Amino acid sequence: MKPHRSPLGLALLGLTAALSLPPGTWAADRADLARPEPAPLPFPLVARFENFGEKDGLPSHKIHCVLKASDGRLWLGTGNGLCVRGADGRFRRYGPEDGLSHPAVLSIAEDPRTGDLWIATMRGLSRLSGGRFTSFTQTDSGLPNNVVYGVAVVDGTVWAATPAGAGAYNIREKSWKIYDHNNAPMEEPWCYAIAPGRDVVYIGVWAGGIVEHDPRLGSFKAYRDPDGDFQFQLTPDSGPIADITSWVAYDDGILWQATYFGLSRYDTQEATWRTWVQDKTPLVSNFINSVFARGHVAWVSTDRGACVTDGTTWATYAVDEQGRGLVRIDRPGGAPETRRMATRLADGFVTAIWADDHEAWFATSNGLSHAVFANQAAVAANP
Amino acid sequence: MRTLNCLLLAFAAAAPAAPLAAQAPAAGPDSARFIYATPGETYPYYAGLPREFWPFNAVEPYERFFTTRMPFRGPGRDYPNPSDLKSLRIGLLDSPKYDANWERSVRTREGVVLAFEEANRSRRPGQLPFELVEREGIAQWGGAGNLAVDFADQKVLGFLGTIDGADAHVALRVTLKTEVVIINTSDPDPTLTETNIPWLLRVLPDHRIEEARMADTIVRRFGCRRIAILREGDRYGRLGVHNFMNFARRLGCPAAQELLFSPGNPDIPHQIATIKDARPDAIFFIGEPADIGRFARQFRLAGIQARFFGADLLMDDRFLKEAGDAAEGAMFTYYFDPARSDPLWVDFVARFSRRWGHAPDAYAAYAYDGAQVMLHAIDAAGPNRWRIRDQVCNLDYYHGVTGWMQFDGTGSNIAPVRLVRYEHGNRVFEPQAEFTPPAAGGL
Repeated sequence: MKPHRSPLGLALLGLTAALSLPPGTWAADRADLARPEPAPLPFPLVARFENFGEKDGLPSHKIHCVLKASDGRLWLGTGNGLCVRGADGRFRRYGPEDGLSHPAVLSIAEDPRTGDLWIATMRGLSRLSGGRFTSFTQTDSGLPNNVVYGVAVVDGTVWAATPAGAGAYNIREKSWKIYDHNNAPMEEPWCYAIAPGRDVVYIGVWAGGIVEHDPRLGSFKAYRDPDGDFQFQLTPDSGPIADITSWVAYDDGILWQATYFGLSRYDTQEATWRTWVQDKTPLVSNFINSVFARGHVAWVSTDRGACVTDGTTWATYAVDEQGRGLVRIDRPGGAPETRRMATRLADGFVTAIWADDHEAWFATSNGLSHAVFANQAAVAANP
Repeated sequence: MRTLNCLLLAFAAAAPAAPLAAQAPAAGPDSARFIYATPGETYPYYAGLPREFWPFNAVEPYERFFTTRMPFRGPGRDYPNPSDLKSLRIGLLDSPKYDANWERSVRTREGVVLAFEEANRSRRPGQLPFELVEREGIAQWGGAGNLAVDFADQKVLGFLGTIDGADAHVALRVTLKTEVVIINTSDPDPTLTETNIPWLLRVLPDHRIEEARMADTIVRRFGCRRIAILREGDRYGRLGVHNFMNFARRLGCPAAQELLFSPGNPDIPHQIATIKDARPDAIFFIGEPADIGRFARQFRLAGIQARFFGADLLMDDRFLKEAGDAAEGAMFTYYFDPARSDPLWVDFVARFSRRWGHAPDAYAAYAYDGAQVMLHAIDAAGPNRWRIRDQVCNLDYYHGVTGWMQFDGTGSNIAPVRLVRYEHGNRVFEPQAEFTPPAAGGL
């Protein structure tokens, strides 16, 4: 086998299974640090990270998800409760004693019409409305299973991804529908993520690729790994990279699939696929926990750092063995540039990201990071 | 796997971290029975099967997975040990009571309990006892997910289980969030370990290993050309024949038929008539042993003379009882010869028989081995889930009571299986040398 390796791929080849990057792997070139950007990037660049951990009031080192609500408040799903960051910067925790159905919070969605929060936990789905929690479980509602990996609110319907199917709760009618292997193109009903699309809902299915559902028509379409095997990817850019979907995200006509085998992108207008794997492309790791879509840009959470990409240009944030922050920029046709950062991600094991044009928040397995964006020519250089 | 190639691909890529040094004296099996991964190690591709069994084997795919083991790169190894422990808790996820797997689950439990009892008897002063936290399976989709969450809430350090492939998959996905390692001792679904979630080890050889051996036997050894498949119409049946059909096709002999039945169905006249019309020279069965035995007898009564083949469940007495004379000549794969003279096995059989009043089967034996690996990992790593994971998932070879195991890049045991045939009502194991890893003087 003679894989096509990008310079970045070659640089990353020596990465070990350690928690962070080994010395020299991403050695920053000091000469590059002060060099102005040759061209604007298609996404914001992080200038510095501000990190928060248990010492700052977070109830757990493990942060599963992050959402900045429309009112500007930041919500976190942690291994030990739901958290909100107040205007004073302090974190307030909500747990089962407040009505949350389980302390492990995996996903949070906001109802854009009411501002209510829907909270996916490992034992039920909770709703936070007017400061009060209401919970739904598989024994007192139509929720298919208590382990809720993903939640989304689409046109008055709350979608919950569970290992026994996708539950759809009509808020106004207070009625449930379940989509599983009996009525949707899934071999097994193991659903792990929900993403609202344009007039459709995308369901990330474990071993079932991605299921597209049009609620108006009641129709389904399945996107599956064309080679049908977990042991390899036969050809790149031919379809979903794997049938084991860990997350899906959609914005502006672009659907992203996160897997533990790499990253896939589907252009719904052109009906074309692109795929990325580590070592052969700028993707830093095949193990992707989740992906956040904004416009044509994806914010990719991996076990080895975070990538930002529009599919052509990449910025990757990682932590080296000495615990220093690094950013690597990969432009089409150009040599990758590695820069040392003055600050670093709270941890390289990134579980989820939320971003807009002004800032980004990174949930990690060891704390929370706030990314402050910079003027691209003024990336902090602090070796 | 002496008869099969172990192709090592020269991939220079990430390798599992080296195992941690033992932090406490290990109880149970001697350390020489554990061989761990080394940095940069690559693993046999596609379960170590010869290239002719691989999908698209005439072309080089863009990317191969599982040539190295997926490491866990998250934090946790340096977290302080809990200070308030009164015992070292380990979960056991049983099958739902009265489910088809219930009897196998009971035997699994017997193996696990014996391992715990022996380990606790050998604890030294100052060492915490092991505590088994059992949960009975829930007979509904996703139920195992709820129980895996419950295990995390109960603060187990790892858990064992389960037989049902769907349950095992669902529980595994939860462990990625809860970070509790699983050792699976009894699910033969090949896809279970192909998820890249680095929190699982399986000690049972899977259906891929069995079916490659059987396809080779049917097509090459016996020269059969018209293979009919009769399988359960459920997930176990679907996945149980999936690889067999592909392997037979790659050997130039696509299955002539694949027919399904409902478990417990007393007779299947339509399937039998259809298969008879196809004039098969081989029939491959996947299903519960009593069903398969009953249908084997019905095939013979219908005048079908094709050879019968199957997988490990044909070892079960219920197959022989239902099939009667129709079992004669039936050939199947099994994991090891229960009459083997390996001292570890002989001694285990004696101890197990004393404890439970009957001899162990494969489910009990692999459960015992899986429990031993878990207990050893906890003693070596201390009560830290992340370090326990490293101990479990960095294992390359283990010498259990069932023999030497070899773990591939997915964390699944790819040790070779045995061929067995029924002869005058007896199970005759074909001669085969015991598998021994290179580091222990084998291969």
